[in-house]
Amino acid sequence: MTELNQDLFEIEIADDSESEHISAPQYSYWRSVFRRFFSSKLAIFMMILSGIVILLAIFQPMISGYDPNVTPNINRPEMKYIRPNATYWFGTDDVGNSLFDAVWKGTATSLFISFMATAITTVLGVAVGMWWGFSKRVDTVMIEVYNIVSNIPATLIAMILVYAIGGGVWQLIFALSVTSWVSTAYFIRVQVMIIRDREYNLASRCLGTPTWKIITHNILPYLVSVIMTSISRDVPSFISYEVFLSFIGVGLGQQYASLGRMIQQYSPYMTSTPYLFWIPVAISALISVSLYIVGQTLADASDPRTHMI
Amino acid sequence: MSVNNEKEVLLDIQHVEVTFNNSRHHNFKAVKDANFQIYKGETFALVGESGSGKTTIARAIIRLNDTSNGEILFKGKKINGPLSKEDKKWVQRNIQMIFQDPAASLNERATIDYCISEGLYNFQLYKDEADRQRKVDEALNSVGLLPEHKSRYPHEFSGGQRQRVGIARAMIMEPEFIIADEPISALDVSIRAQVLNLMNKFKEERGLTYMFIAHDLSVVRYFADRIGVIHNGRIVEIAESNELFHFPIHPYTRSLLQAVPMPDPEIEKAKVLKAYDQEKEDRTAETGSLQEIKPNHFIFMSEEERPEYEALIAEMEKYKEN
Repeated sequence: MTELNQDLFEIEIADDSESEHISAPQYSYWRSVFRRFFSSKLAIFMMILSGIVILLAIFQPMISGYDPNVTPNINRPEMKYIRPNATYWFGTDDVGNSLFDAVWKGTATSLFISFMATAITTVLGVAVGMWWGFSKRVDTVMIEVYNIVSNIPATLIAMILVYAIGGGVWQLIFALSVTSWVSTAYFIRVQVMIIRDREYNLASRCLGTPTWKIITHNILPYLVSVIMTSISRDVPSFISYEVFLSFIGVGLGQQYASLGRMIQQYSPYMTSTPYLFWIPVAISALISVSLYIVGQTLADASDPRTHMI
Repeated sequence: MSVNNEKEVLLDIQHVEVTFNNSRHHNFKAVKDANFQIYKGETFALVGESGSGKTTIARAIIRLNDTSNGEILFKGKKINGPLSKEDKKWVQRNIQMIFQDPAASLNERATIDYCISEGLYNFQLYKDEADRQRKVDEALNSVGLLPEHKSRYPHEFSGGQRQRVGIARAMIMEPEFIIADEPISALDVSIRAQVLNLMNKFKEERGLTYMFIAHDLSVVRYFADRIGVIHNGRIVEIAESNELFHFPIHPYTRSLLQAVPMPDPEIEKAKVLKAYDQEKEDRTAETGSLQEIKPNHFIFMSEEERPEYEALIAEMEKYKEN
């Protein structure tokens, strides 16, 4: 046993600031969101899938130059109803055009309609919802608007509008988003009311923070995941809605290619040439499911409660 | 009021009433006819049970709640009711609040840097970016935190650290008057003293005036200069801290004091707890008012009750002499 002596000890000076030190690595909100998102293999797969679909929808029509009104093979019966093969990957349709070209043109139209309608719904819904949640005067007006709008079937409104203003792409976007933002605004209004009077917002008011700054710095960051959820629900629902409206014959006119138009047009061929019907249905389902899963995973990842470990 | 006449009144609350309207209790009066003064440089404690209206008074002073009656004067200027934009800013500059729950009162999505400089941004209290950084570093140092914490988020801190961020954010505004709404009740017992000492340090350094809200008399005993006891929205007793602990007169104050545990099991066992009789207050509610029964010692009573309380004081004084 060694003897205890002075050399074995050294003077340690207590430092209070040492105990204040945080040893955990720096936290960054967006880095944590992406780490969380990319920890899901399914989400990565779905993101790649939807990425491929979106890229094909953007670039394939540019290369093929497909136009549903141009039908060079309409008088060549041997070009019609060719089953999918090495030349025509998705076969050819009833007028002898390649279905591969038609599907991507149609996907582009459907995605454009859905993304635009979602963007309008979200931007308008969040902006009005914030205002609605903060102002009593806006509330008394908007709650009546909401009561009226939510009690009229949205399909009916969309149908009447398409009949009245015509079946173009922009008209359809207008018809889809003209009432849908009200329910998004209502959803945001409820969320704002829940967190509006929390103590940290009262603290900001005591510090003299103006309301717009409380909205942008205190409320909006809390609603990122809620808004993401709403977007990930809206995109597939607008795609399905476009398909549905076109299917019942009130969507886009004959001159447009869209997934809904194609499904409606080819539904009688379900037994004779089933690929004409099932390929657009499959693409529409693929986009809806992959975008929904990507959106939901992103919404989960943007909730900081999931960032622990 | 011989002693207090020499002191400068910083905050004067006159007949303040706060009423809440909602569908269940129509016109619920959370604060009834509150009257008290807070002098410059003192710590005034407001003590009462949950729901007694102490936080409501604090929020009425800082303009988070509207008053339905009465006047709140800060440095002789009315600060309740509608105010001009400049006056509102003046109130925000000079009166700051420390909140009860440090976890709830900090913005979870903002860095400590933003949390602390929020007031600086709103009032442009800095010359340039370097000046703002310097002020934030100074504020962090003054509460014992480190400048490296600026890039951190509130959830990374302990309760005591978060409360010190809350104090730093109020202090950076260089206010004259601070309302501390139960600043230590959400904290661990082991770090309560740390926060109280910090508040005392600021009081000495900057000559601050505090209004300290608590539900526990034992906490304010050593911290407050004067104590007001509030029950059911009515202030029932106001006295200097020592005076209140030696001569608790109002029955509600007496029952509150009894609730403070004694560190002696023998005394604790022998203690006969007296519950406060609410009916008595209901009887005096109409006729009573806050009256000075001893120098600088006010209690809520009606004229008929005066002999009863005076007898009680005489008895207590006799007991103290022995």
